[in-house]
Amino acid sequence: MPEAVSVLAPRATAETPPLPRRLTVWLLLGVLALVPAVAGGFWTYSVGVCMANAVAVLSVGFLLRYGGEVSIGHSFFLAFGAYCTAIVERELGLSVGIGLPVAAAAGAVLGIVFAWPSRALSGIYLAIATMALALSVPELILQLGPIAGGYEGLYVARPLIPGVSVDLQRYYLPLVVLALVVLLLARFRRSRQGLVLLTARDHPRAAEAFGFSRGYARLAAFAISASIASTAGALLAFAASTVSPNSFTLSTAIYLLVGTVVSFGSLGLAGALAGGAFITLVPQLFAAWGDWVPIIYGAALLAVVTLGHRPAEVLAALRARLGGGRRDA
Amino acid sequence: MLDAVTATAAELTVEAVSLSFGGHRVLKEVSMDFRPGQVTGLIGPNGAGKTSLFNCLTGLYRPQQGRIALGGQSLERMPPARRARAGLSRSFQHVALCPELDVLENVMFGRARLGRSGWADAFLPLPGGRAERAEARAAAMDVLRRLDLAAFSDVTPAGLPPGTQRLVEIARAIASRPRVLLLDEPAAGLNPAETRQLTAVLRGLVSPELIIVVVEHDMDLIMQLCDRIHVLNFGQRIASGTPAEIRADPEVIRVYLGDSDD
Ligand SMILES: Nc1ncnc2c1ncn2[C@@H]1O[C@H](COP(=O)(O)OP(=O)(O)OP(=O)(O)O)[C@@H](O)[C@H]1O
Ligand SMILES: [Mg+2]
Repeated sequence: MPEAVSVLAPRATAETPPLPRRLTVWLLLGVLALVPAVAGGFWTYSVGVCMANAVAVLSVGFLLRYGGEVSIGHSFFLAFGAYCTAIVERELGLSVGIGLPVAAAAGAVLGIVFAWPSRALSGIYLAIATMALALSVPELILQLGPIAGGYEGLYVARPLIPGVSVDLQRYYLPLVVLALVVLLLARFRRSRQGLVLLTARDHPRAAEAFGFSRGYARLAAFAISASIASTAGALLAFAASTVSPNSFTLSTAIYLLVGTVVSFGSLGLAGALAGGAFITLVPQLFAAWGDWVPIIYGAALLAVVTLGHRPAEVLAALRARLGGGRRDA
Repeated sequence: MLDAVTATAAELTVEAVSLSFGGHRVLKEVSMDFRPGQVTGLIGPNGAGKTSLFNCLTGLYRPQQGRIALGGQSLERMPPARRARAGLSRSFQHVALCPELDVLENVMFGRARLGRSGWADAFLPLPGGRAERAEARAAAMDVLRRLDLAAFSDVTPAGLPPGTQRLVEIARAIASRPRVLLLDEPAAGLNPAETRQLTAVLRGLVSPELIIVVVEHDMDLIMQLCDRIHVLNFGQRIASGTPAEIRADPEVIRVYLGDSDD
């Protein structure tokens, strides 16, 4: 840090986020930590699911931000993580404490397995390839046979820490993991690999000219994104205590995209929570509106598809507009 | 006599390279060499094929015929990223900086290839990764200072004048510690004072191992900076020699120098 002191202005950038932003984060975390103490069981449960969904929104946001690509298929990785956790519990008798790391690691591998054959695709073609993934999910799960529990799905009941209220664990694990993921992503932005992915997104030829192929950038972005999605799946399974094929349909994948729009593509805590809350709560709160819910989502999706075209410019413009920015210097 | 310099193993050589795009012949049997310890100029009228030759060198274009080798090692079959690892580095005629990264980060990206930190370092505050990042920042800052760009280290490139953006690109290329530095119109958009400074900086970079190649329309810069010059016209090499020889070459005067003093 000290060697980078600028002569123009105090540097409030990647190395040290500005104080107000850090305060917001701590404030948000404080409020979230208090929810179970002041709210009833329903809200504790709902906010827990919101936070798990926030992690899922981050996974799609990561791919948009660092890969410059839109995915309509992340329900695939979400389902993978959820079923990983449920099957690790059922077959091996191990809790989410093992299931989640297994899901995160295997999710990264799965991301690479998908990204390698599709590495030459981009834009709408890649989006459609990911959509094919999403469409295959429910059928794939049923094909797995009894190990995946068929239509009924599986329970995720084993507590992480025996002897402590499971309901509280179902809330606090997503909170802790969400905070961790946000922190890790903030660190990643400053890393060597982060610089490489961002440059490859905007100027793949420049990245190549400096030693990093498009394939490398694509695989890396997908592996990380899929790993986050898979982690989110594990959290969802734990927070909701059950997994079943019909929670991972094409609509799930589309909702995740909508959540990314609502989060303004931010990889920060507040944005992710906004996205997670939107996709969790809107269907609940507007249940009475029935048919309008998909229309709300549809409108938001249209927005992301248009915006997703030029993520860098849009994000920069949004950030400047929202006044959060040093970027308009 | 500069041309008497004996061919060393580390030369960059182009032999009979031909490139065409659907019948449009952009490079015709071009042969030339670029020597370490020298600045070589590559000049010629618009559309002569200078940028295309750079693209052949860095692997963005695949010539239909010919050989390209660095220090005896054949480059033809290497993809661009591998050539970068072999030591080729370039600036782009159309600036290709990442708009989301600030100037310092863009230059740090230039030396990302030299980093050894792994994926764990990317996410966790491990000592090895931190030390490497601090070192990368310091090195990038150093290059920025040499180009008088330190004051812009924490702004994003979009806010800078085009000439300054170009200097940032050059800083990024320099930061990658190349064996071959290819600069495509580095002085475009620079004012005379900035051009003089750039000339001095590039002159200061000359070292026995480094090959510097400059494509440029600014003849003052070319004549002051270069040890040797190759001239392209309609995809053919029409002359090679010292600045004095090129200035006196009737063919070069006819096709290029004659009409360039606007
Ligand atoms: N990708 C491409 N597809 C088709 N034609 C191309 C391509 N790249 C270059 N050309 C053609 O090759 C010729 C040489 O272009 P090039 O950009 O190499 O010229 P240049 O010497 O760099 O010119 P300038 O001084 O204007 O930059 C031009 O006629 C150009 O239209
Ligand atoms: Mg050119």
